[in-house]
Amino acid sequence: MQRTSVSSSNVASVGYDPDSSTLEIEFNNGAVYQYFDVNENVYDELIKASSVGGYLATNIKGKYRFSRV
Amino acid sequence: MASKETYLGDVQDVNGTTVSITLSKSSLTGFVYIDGQGYRVGQIGSFIRIPIGYNDLFGIVSQVGASAKPENQVESEATGNRWMKIQLIGESQRNGVFQRGLSQYPTIGDEVHLVSEKELKSIYGQPDKPYFVKVGHISNADSIPALIDVNKLVTRHSAVVGTTGSGKSTTVASIINALSDNNRYPSSRIIMLDLHGEYGHALKDKANLYKINADVPKEKEMHIPFWALNFDELCEICFGEFNNEKDKNIVLERVQKYKNSSLAKYPKNGSSVDTLSVDTPIPFSIHNLWHELYLETFGTYYSKQAGRPIDNLAYELDTNGKELKGNPNEGITPIFKNVKNEKDDDEKINYLPGALNLGKHLLLLGSKLRIPRYNFIFRPGEWSPKGDGEVIRDLDSLLKDWIGSDKPATVLDLSGVPPDILQTTIGAVLRILYEALFWARNLSQGGRHRPLLIVMEEAHLYLNDDFKGMASKVVQRIVKEGRKYGIGAMIVSQRPSEINPTILSQCGTFFALRLTNATDRNHITSALPDNLDGLTSMMPILRTGEAIILGEAVKLPMRTFIEPPPKNARPDSQDPVVYDEVPLDESQNPGGWGIPMETNPNYEELIETWRAQSPKINKIIEDK
Repeated sequence: MQRTSVSSSNVASVGYDPDSSTLEIEFNNGAVYQYFDVNENVYDELIKASSVGGYLATNIKGKYRFSRV
Repeated sequence: MASKETYLGDVQDVNGTTVSITLSKSSLTGFVYIDGQGYRVGQIGSFIRIPIGYNDLFGIVSQVGASAKPENQVESEATGNRWMKIQLIGESQRNGVFQRGLSQYPTIGDEVHLVSEKELKSIYGQPDKPYFVKVGHISNADSIPALIDVNKLVTRHSAVVGTTGSGKSTTVASIINALSDNNRYPSSRIIMLDLHGEYGHALKDKANLYKINADVPKEKEMHIPFWALNFDELCEICFGEFNNEKDKNIVLERVQKYKNSSLAKYPKNGSSVDTLSVDTPIPFSIHNLWHELYLETFGTYYSKQAGRPIDNLAYELDTNGKELKGNPNEGITPIFKNVKNEKDDDEKINYLPGALNLGKHLLLLGSKLRIPRYNFIFRPGEWSPKGDGEVIRDLDSLLKDWIGSDKPATVLDLSGVPPDILQTTIGAVLRILYEALFWARNLSQGGRHRPLLIVMEEAHLYLNDDFKGMASKVVQRIVKEGRKYGIGAMIVSQRPSEINPTILSQCGTFFALRLTNATDRNHITSALPDNLDGLTSMMPILRTGEAIILGEAVKLPMRTFIEPPPKNARPDSQDPVVYDEVPLDESQNPGGWGIPMETNPNYEELIETWRAQSPKINKIIEDK
């Protein structure tokens, strides 16, 4: 999955696969996670957010299930 | 004599390598400045120097205070508790070259001096020699690199011990990182047994990663062909214990027969039918062997028909009237009719005469042939023999993959090996490597000319005395004889007291990280090559990532801060985060107790991973 780099204190890059609604997050420590069944607009808002880490914390963490890849 | 400010006190008592000294009044301030740098006097584990003529003796402070006083010392107010006990370790000539061992002893009244950083550097430091590899720096002297002699490290074996979370895996990753530096050691050769799959990520640039259920192309599928095992290993994995020698001999004779006919059909250089033994690694079909033995054990036959009983087997029929002969390749058992011996019925069915007594063993093997978890050993990809013993790839390409590839290191991720055969599998892998390098000792790819370092993670799991394990036997052989054939072991464990003492005592170099358990510590202390109580008593108070390195690969025992590998190349063994210390919007952890869990959690996927025996669920989008 193609990921776009973002500037954030904890997130390195973000990617999205619209076919399966999967959001992929790479943290600055190199760990990559996929969040499942995430709507595309959440992804759009995430990459546009002024604070990616903040948006991730309030709108994604604890809302969607994930797996490390 | 050396500069006065380094002066600590005088020798009062010499007892073997233990020296007791009294501290002088002037050093009692506890703090000394040399070349503008401050040194604390009387730190346990610090070095001292005793100049004797043109030589310097060096020692380590092991005890300070009243109890360091020699036992039969008469009470004397003058010295009180200003005592220090020293363990002598080596000496240096006036030209500054440090050597272990002593040619002479100090005597009463000799001056004792502090060792300054400059002097330490001349003892420790020879960074320009390419056979020294840097793993970190000396704990209280950042400018001095901690150097390890690669020659001694590999051939004299080593052990890395420390409590969970003391930085063991990071230390191992750091050492391997340093050793697999392509510029310095273009043909270094390391193989690692990774029990928990921690190192794949850390070493991905430098190592080939073999794994069961591999994630191709990042990882490669691990195969350990059953026919490369010797007879004992094969029995252990296939059949378990035999009831008696007779049963074992029947299987032995049969395996030999299969190997014989395979070799006759597909000759291999180096072995002939005359020299073939049951342990020779020759491919044969274990599926056919199993099927054949199964027939002879469980078979029934029509006893009234003419001909050999084995030709008149009484198979049960399926609904289409076809005989249920089973399928050797899929491990499907044949089904036989029940014994029938009725007065008016002409069709008599009996058990085969002289039926084998291997029922339990064959049922066990049959289930293993069917279960996919055992495929890495019984259906080893291109190493799977056909019915007549034909294989696409032979052992040479297996070894080439493992220890002859373009990358310096290989990680065998054994996390998917079923626990009941883990011991034997590890034993078999090690024996295959040992035999190959042992016999090839004169060749350029043999052990003598291209030595191999075998890193054994979590060694207490399979080098334990309680098991009559194969692994323990092979490793004992490696640590005793491997030196001559270029096979070095690095044993990594958090529970050294469970490791066979013979194995531990053969390790020439120790990387001792924090180790709190007293039993473990005593075990290490007794196995240490140096007589250094003072240093080993520091083991419970080492910081994470700090190690005492001692033994043959280092000039002096050194308390070292291991330099961790770059962030993206650290082993995957960090503790799970229960509650992240940084605020939620900066946390790099998506989970933990501090974050609410998703609504309606999906436990179907949880079970999916268990059934698939793979942590990866299908839903994950893979990079193509």
